[in-house]
Amino acid sequence: MRASEEQLRIWMIGGLDGDAEAHAALLRALVPMLRSFFGRRLRGAEDDVEDLVQETLMAIHTRRGTYDRTRPFAAWAYAVARYKMIDQFRRTRGTVPIEGLEDILIAEGFEDACAARMDIDRLLGGLSDKQARAIRATKIDGLSTAEAARAGGYSEADVKVSVHRGLKALAARLKGGA
Amino acid sequence: MQTDDLIRALAGNVAPVSPHLVERQLAMGIAAGAVATLLAIASTLGFRPDLAAAMHDFTFWMKWTYTISLGVGAIAATVHLARPDATRAQWLWLLVIPFGLLACVAASELARTPFDGWLPLWLGQSWKRCSIFVAMLAAPIFIGLIWAFRQFAPTRLRLTGATAGLASGACAATLYGLHCPEASALFVLTWYSLGMGLAALAGTLIGPRFLRW
Repeated sequence: MRASEEQLRIWMIGGLDGDAEAHAALLRALVPMLRSFFGRRLRGAEDDVEDLVQETLMAIHTRRGTYDRTRPFAAWAYAVARYKMIDQFRRTRGTVPIEGLEDILIAEGFEDACAARMDIDRLLGGLSDKQARAIRATKIDGLSTAEAARAGGYSEADVKVSVHRGLKALAARLKGGA
Repeated sequence: MQTDDLIRALAGNVAPVSPHLVERQLAMGIAAGAVATLLAIASTLGFRPDLAAAMHDFTFWMKWTYTISLGVGAIAATVHLARPDATRAQWLWLLVIPFGLLACVAASELARTPFDGWLPLWLGQSWKRCSIFVAMLAAPIFIGLIWAFRQFAPTRLRLTGATAGLASGACAATLYGLHCPEASALFVLTWYSLGMGLAALAGTLIGPRFLRW
């Protein structure tokens, strides 16, 4: 079972006051949380996940003085984890700029992707079902015309015409500011 | 190493940590650097001979108000950025307020001065060395700040480097005011700001290298 934010905070503050038991309990409780945090982001790299878990535990231990007791604990711990993950990306791939990456990776990228998806859904919603499906298959999912035709059960010419008419209708609507 | 062993090892070493560790470490770092800067001023540049009298002057306090308020703002931002969960510090823009106020003083100074007096007002006696001295005197304080950061967890390294650089520049400029006899707001606005800006730029460039953890 996952420890609650409240429980983690109590252990953290106990550790900051010098209670080794509380500190050990905190670190143990963080292990599954960190494993799933890194696991979700580094699919299929078990060794990396465990390395990052250990590095994060060490950082949480040595830099625990930067935890502000009045602020949420999980946010602090995940901020350390995120930094360690970005640092590792940068060390192993060499070209990822550290500044702002976390935002792209986690907050804004996700938000933008959601917003973009919602925009697309809204736009395609105004087309006929056939046109919307043809555009989604060829322009968003990246299928070829032939694949899209087979998947939808239409002829290739049908798909081409649907895409063409659908895009024209979208362009007209965007120009109209709809 | 197994994760369980690691936890056992870490839990065997749990010293109590002060709730004000961040503030205290930074204060110590700045103080140590400031002492070094002050010694450098005393041994090479010397204090202005009329210091005691100047401390009753408006211009002296105008300079100090400007550099100290910038220093306080930059130090507060640096304290904030020492923690990994630091939010985006939008209030950093408040640092333009001292600059704006000093610009107003400079403008009124210009308005009171005939046109051919503007150049001396702007360049003073020491414009060639003022900025570079401020930037150089910032170095010990910047080193003190970096030393303080070795137990911190900044995640915005470039921004942290910039605020630490500005903080050290503002502290250095404050101490440099004990030497520099220039009295015009326009001079301070230009050359002090340039010196502090150089320190901030240096911090931006070299900060990430030293602040990684």
